[in-house]
Amino acid sequence: MKEHYLYFSVTPEALIASGLEPEKFGSYLAVGTQKRARGQAVFFELDIDKMGDIVSKEYIEKNCIPRPDGSPKRTLYLSIYRVLERIPFDALKSLYLTTDDGRVLKLDRGDFVHQKSESLYLYQELCPVTPRIASTLDPVEFVNYVCNPKNNISVPKLFCVQLDLGELSNDPIAGNADNLPYTNVYHLRDCLAGLLQNQSKFTKTVVRFFKGDIQYRTCKNGFFIGDNKTCLFYPFPSKTELDEKYHSWWRSALTMGFN
Amino acid sequence: MYNIFWLVPLASILALLFALYFYRQVYKEDEGTEIMKKIANHVRLGAMAYLKQQYKVVLIFFIILTVLFSVLAYGFNLQNPWVPFAFLSGGLFSGIAGYLGMKTATMASARTANAARKSLDAGLRVAFRSGGVMGLVVVGLGLLDISIWFIILNYWYPAANDTHNMMIITTTMLTFGMGASAQALFARVGGGIFTKAADVGADLVGKVEAGIPEDDPRNPATIADNVGDNVGDVAGMGADLYESYCGSILATAALGSAAFMNTSQMQMKAVLAPMLIAAIGIVLSIIGIFVVRTKEGASQKNLMKSLEKGINLSSVLIVVASLGLLYLLQIQNWLGIWGSLVVGLLVGIVIGKATEYFTSEEYPPTQKIASNAATGPATVIISGLGIGMVSTVIPVIAVGIGIILSYLSATSGDISNLPVGLYGIGIAAVGMLSTLGITLATDAYGPIADNAGGNAEMSELGPEVRKRTDALDSLGNTTAATGKGFAIGSAALTALALLASYIEELKIGIDRLMQASGSYLFPNGLEISSRAELTGLGLNDFMNYFQVHLMNPIVLIGVFLGSMMAFLFCGFTMNAVGRAAAKMVDEVRRQFREIKGILEGETEPDYAKCVEISTKGAQVEMILPSILAIAVPIVVCLIFGVAGSLGLLVGGLSTGFVLAVFMSNSGGAWDNAKKYIESGHMGGKGSSAHKATVIGDTVGDPFKDTSGPSLNILIKLMSMVTIVMSGVTVAISLL
Repeated sequence: MKEHYLYFSVTPEALIASGLEPEKFGSYLAVGTQKRARGQAVFFELDIDKMGDIVSKEYIEKNCIPRPDGSPKRTLYLSIYRVLERIPFDALKSLYLTTDDGRVLKLDRGDFVHQKSESLYLYQELCPVTPRIASTLDPVEFVNYVCNPKNNISVPKLFCVQLDLGELSNDPIAGNADNLPYTNVYHLRDCLAGLLQNQSKFTKTVVRFFKGDIQYRTCKNGFFIGDNKTCLFYPFPSKTELDEKYHSWWRSALTMGFN
Repeated sequence: MYNIFWLVPLASILALLFALYFYRQVYKEDEGTEIMKKIANHVRLGAMAYLKQQYKVVLIFFIILTVLFSVLAYGFNLQNPWVPFAFLSGGLFSGIAGYLGMKTATMASARTANAARKSLDAGLRVAFRSGGVMGLVVVGLGLLDISIWFIILNYWYPAANDTHNMMIITTTMLTFGMGASAQALFARVGGGIFTKAADVGADLVGKVEAGIPEDDPRNPATIADNVGDNVGDVAGMGADLYESYCGSILATAALGSAAFMNTSQMQMKAVLAPMLIAAIGIVLSIIGIFVVRTKEGASQKNLMKSLEKGINLSSVLIVVASLGLLYLLQIQNWLGIWGSLVVGLLVGIVIGKATEYFTSEEYPPTQKIASNAATGPATVIISGLGIGMVSTVIPVIAVGIGIILSYLSATSGDISNLPVGLYGIGIAAVGMLSTLGITLATDAYGPIADNAGGNAEMSELGPEVRKRTDALDSLGNTTAATGKGFAIGSAALTALALLASYIEELKIGIDRLMQASGSYLFPNGLEISSRAELTGLGLNDFMNYFQVHLMNPIVLIGVFLGSMMAFLFCGFTMNAVGRAAAKMVDEVRRQFREIKGILEGETEPDYAKCVEISTKGAQVEMILPSILAIAVPIVVCLIFGVAGSLGLLVGGLSTGFVLAVFMSNSGGAWDNAKKYIESGHMGGKGSSAHKATVIGDTVGDPFKDTSGPSLNILIKLMSMVTIVMSGVTVAISLL
């Protein structure tokens, strides 16, 4: 077993060293030690050797040491601001999604094969900013667009998830939205319809600030991280695969708590 | 005694033999993997621990009441001397039925899950036949108890040529219903509090606070929740319907005995008819149970059709067979009496369908609640209450029409023939409950399938198995809702029959008083001094002599008290759930906090502690409502006499029936509105509408599973207490 792990926590943005392996780290972030807290966690495991001089190995080795009772050090915060933009893409290992009660799902990087069957998309940006955006751009185009420094506003790097729009992806006016749990679906319809009417506009903010947790059942295709040139893809399993292979996690992900 | 009577004990023994056969068949099934066995064992131990504790409390209660009845009967000669024994036997048989039903249900859940690994049909058959054990044990023991008492009392009071002796027999037998009622009270109220304390506790901390899914072994209350399903819907529902079943047969026998007093032969036929109909119903229920099976990959609709096939077959056959029976018996106006029976069956079906309409997610009322969720939990609660209130219309009208049609059918349209008309109403109740063997099998199937689903989840069985157990569980949810409607409807008709037979009990009480003092003075000043005068009095005479009319303020006071009792009883049971659930919440939180590794799945929670908390909570909390349900009718009898007692029963029955329908349907509609949204409407799972309906569902839990069903018992028990106290009432009431 490794002594140290390095993680990039997406929500909130932080670089953390820990003695806990990913599943235990996720569980710890979600429910703490006293089990009085609960909450989702989304984080990447990082390859410490590919982080360059962004982190000090000596500092980690010196401070991320087992506790007096012999248990591993849970968290050693190394950085909490503008973390994502400094992480090299090749240092990113697997992505972990943790549910409220501490169940952890590991997602490995995959190849994004885009099938252009829809004309509209919905993205939840998760880091460094958290608006929910409707767009006519496919995921890779969207990440590259948002990170393009030539735009009036941009971010150096972006981590986001594509959300399901159901029938609204092609018919925002009359499409069935019965199974979409988003608040104010009427506003969402307006945003999507506006994009279709104004071809010169690629994005429209649906929700300015993300509150609450990701509803994993709304994840479509998967998670994307990139800049204006690169876009890495972490595919989210299909519902059948989740039910068959990751049933415990999926059941937990479907359970709703009150925030 | 007629030779045909022997069909009754034979049918009861047949029911018990088939129950044993089904039990053994299910027992032979494999319980599955080690983890499946372990989970099933936790539930089994919890259920038995609960029953043991409940029976301890019940025993104390029975001892106290038996001593009281003995003193009244033997010390003061104010009561039928058989009452203490009849009371004990009713309680004992009901208790045995509850124990056997629970034993089978908790034995069957893992076996059902394991059978579902083979096929859907195998799972359905194991679950349904286990439910069949409960159904057949209830009707078998009920008829056996009736048979034993009929044989014993016929020995002491030969009734073949003595109509008065038959009156004594039937009115004495009626009092064993009080034992069944008392047992049912504890089973329903205690079971209702247990199950909802566990369910609400498990949900509030597990699902809502900790985000743990249902039926997750990491939730300390999950086993208590599974135990609660059995305690509430197997033991509670079984005891409730046992009481209705016996009560309807016995009350009808008493009414028949009074209505056909002119010839002893016809009187005997009228007394035997409800017993024989029940006996035939047993045979037809067994046939129906064998018919239930399904194909692999059956849809929800097909599964429902499989169950309906069994129930419908039994119902159609009972219509045909009872026609033949009544014809062969040559009971007076046999065709009209048969018409009353058919009316009872139809009323049961109408109430079941109305319940389904108002609570199923496939119909507008529940969908309307779901659409109201868009504006938050307040509108969910408001619309659920509104729909529950509106849902009372059809059952009330159905019972009303059923009363008048069964009355007119039995009397061939002669409205003035009150005794035969009331007998017809009793026969309608018997008709509704005649195929209880299979209808109760359907009710008891629900918690077995639910537990099987829980076991499959906790044991992490494959997706195909979970799909099958989910289908079985979903079917159980539907049958549970219609079963509640059936239980309420049958309770109302049974209570009505008991109410009518109360006058016959009064006659026996007055006769006993006259034997001791030489005469009896009615409240209106009329004095009688011979049995001939007493026997010659009709029901209307009694109403006049006891001044039972709406202008008598004592009657009105009784009506108001009866209505109040329904609400007070509900209030006590609702608050009891709140308190018991709060204790469960504290315990689950404590375990998460203090026992390391529960959430990580590394340590097993202390399931037994949660079962113990629910058990203790239920036992403590059920005492006050139980005492109230028994003490108030006694006090009313002693203070307000016959007029006040009848007012109390009328008020309790009318308000209790409507309130029970309202609460059960509101609760069921809230539950299914949530499920409707979860199936992908109004935003689906996780939407704000979903959260609103989760709140509605939690509010509705004690409505549909504690207070609503407990009212069934209240309306029957108050009638039973009043009947048992009739001797005391005519002797020493203040007003």
